Amino acid sequence: MNAQEVLAALKDALGERLRTPEIRTRSVGVKSPRTIEEIWAHIDRESLLEAVGVLKSLGPVHISIISGNDLGEEIEFLYHLEVGFGTEGGEVLVTLRLRVPKSDPVVPSLCGLIPGAQTTEREKIEFFGVTFAGIPDSRHLFLPEDMEVHPWRKDEPELEKLVKRAVKWEEQDG
Amino acid sequence: MADKTFEIPIGPVHPALKEPIRFTFQVEGERIVGVDIKPGFAHRGIEFMGLRRNLIQVLYLAERICGICSISHPIALTQAVENAAGIEVPPRAQYIRVIVSELERIHSHLLWAGVAVHELGFDTLLHLTWKVRERVMDILEELTGNRVDYAIPIYGGVRRDITPEQYPLVREMIRYYRGLFEELADRLLNDASIRARTRGVGVLTPQEAEALCAVGPTARASGLRKDVRQDWPYLVYGDFGVKAITPEDYGLAPQGDVYDRIIVRLLEVAQSIDIIERCLEEMPEGEITSVPKVPALLAQLKKAEGEGIGRHEAPRGEVIHYIALEAGKEEPVVWKVKAPTYSNLMPWVPMFRDQEIADIPIIAASIDPCMCCMDRVYIVRDTVEREVWKEELLRLSWGKTDRIRSRIAGRSLRAAEAEHGGA
Repeated sequence: MNAQEVLAALKDALGERLRTPEIRTRSVGVKSPRTIEEIWAHIDRESLLEAVGVLKSLGPVHISIISGNDLGEEIEFLYHLEVGFGTEGGEVLVTLRLRVPKSDPVVPSLCGLIPGAQTTEREKIEFFGVTFAGIPDSRHLFLPEDMEVHPWRKDEPELEKLVKRAVKWEEQDG
Repeated sequence: MADKTFEIPIGPVHPALKEPIRFTFQVEGERIVGVDIKPGFAHRGIEFMGLRRNLIQVLYLAERICGICSISHPIALTQAVENAAGIEVPPRAQYIRVIVSELERIHSHLLWAGVAVHELGFDTLLHLTWKVRERVMDILEELTGNRVDYAIPIYGGVRRDITPEQYPLVREMIRYYRGLFEELADRLLNDASIRARTRGVGVLTPQEAEALCAVGPTARASGLRKDVRQDWPYLVYGDFGVKAITPEDYGLAPQGDVYDRIIVRLLEVAQSIDIIERCLEEMPEGEITSVPKVPALLAQLKKAEGEGIGRHEAPRGEVIHYIALEAGKEEPVVWKVKAPTYSNLMPWVPMFRDQEIADIPIIAASIDPCMCCMDRVYIVRDTVEREVWKEELLRLSWGKTDRIRSRIAGRSLRAAEAEHGGA
């Protein structure tokens, strides 16, 4: 499987809902260089499960991690998925980007399709204060259960205090 | 009828665990029926810190995510940043990165073998594996100047070259390990007690490994040929045609138990030795970095705009770093790190099911967990709800030093008085 086939399958199923899809290529290796292709695309949260379902129909899908970024009014999540993980040189890295408004921070959970996504979704819950609809276990994972600060939110009122304390410690050490 | 299920908490700090994590086992008699896993006790907020530092400082942080796979994170991070900023890596530097990564794999797998047999109570073999591990540690120290935290990768290359005088030392190490392989394999795989304690224990089926996103030797022992070096070539691994190793390569059908995890790691040591040998043969002469001056590198990185992903097959499995850079900013906008134990957290649950309490330590150890990698707020709670911050820890530690000092001073005073009185 190559990136073109994966992208074609995604476009077929999602049409216009797959926004700004691109294949990024680069060359790796010294003696026998080869091209590595990565798929990057924007998607709405409503289409996420369908998109992952399409990827799953193409081969084994592995989720590496969900990265996140606070954009102000919205939170952006990047799903780093690998289609065909475990096939020699045939793995395609797909990054699906989706944005959720902070006023309604609900994302559909991938756990029904990829049970292994639970760890990374639980991490996003505690660090960004979002909800994953349909996640079997939504307790905090790395942070204490009663910790209400979401450290990766940039508008977190408690965050500035945390940072100021951190800076103060550093100065003390110096 | 009364509920026959009991809960046994193990950890966060427990003699059977090498690093902090809390398991809450539900048991019926000796049989485990369920487990809840709570990590986070070594979470240091490294990503958060990284978003407030320049990229060179981030590299130092990445190196310190884990002490055992201390090159895996820099390798993934440098690739992510190089992809984002479009920095080329000279061929020689790529080979050197691979050599150090594979040396790390050898030391990590030997370390694990020692820990695993120690969990089984076979300490003689622990001492043997750790004795032979010293050889690779010496080579790492020779090549990089350090036993851990090698500080080798930098954006655009590596920080140290391998000199012609060092080649024979590495080749000698290769001969040493090849000579030892048969003996190690015999000790680890043909021993009746090891086999009895590990065969059929902590089984992870290939379906579970697939669904729960297991990575590294944990997935490969279940028969899944997943290896980032093979599936998503990077550096010079694609040139070498590295193949994922499963127990089939040892002539056995994969059963996904602890025994299979020993086989996979042992064969991977041999594989790493072959890779290092090939690197030494093929490595071209040349530059070791494309941007040798750090201030110039920092200036280039400040101008860079873009995002990138870097991945690496660490000794425990897939490491991935995602980074987003914005022009005019020295620090990354997003930095996300995933260590292999993070992915192997959920596969632990089926491994423990229906096993006996006595097998908890070896099953826990069998994925070669690395909590400091996975956890990255340090909050301590006692019966009084409170958070202990660094300034308080410092104050407590100064207070203790003062108490010790005054006690010593008091004692010497008493000793002087006694002497005086005796005279």
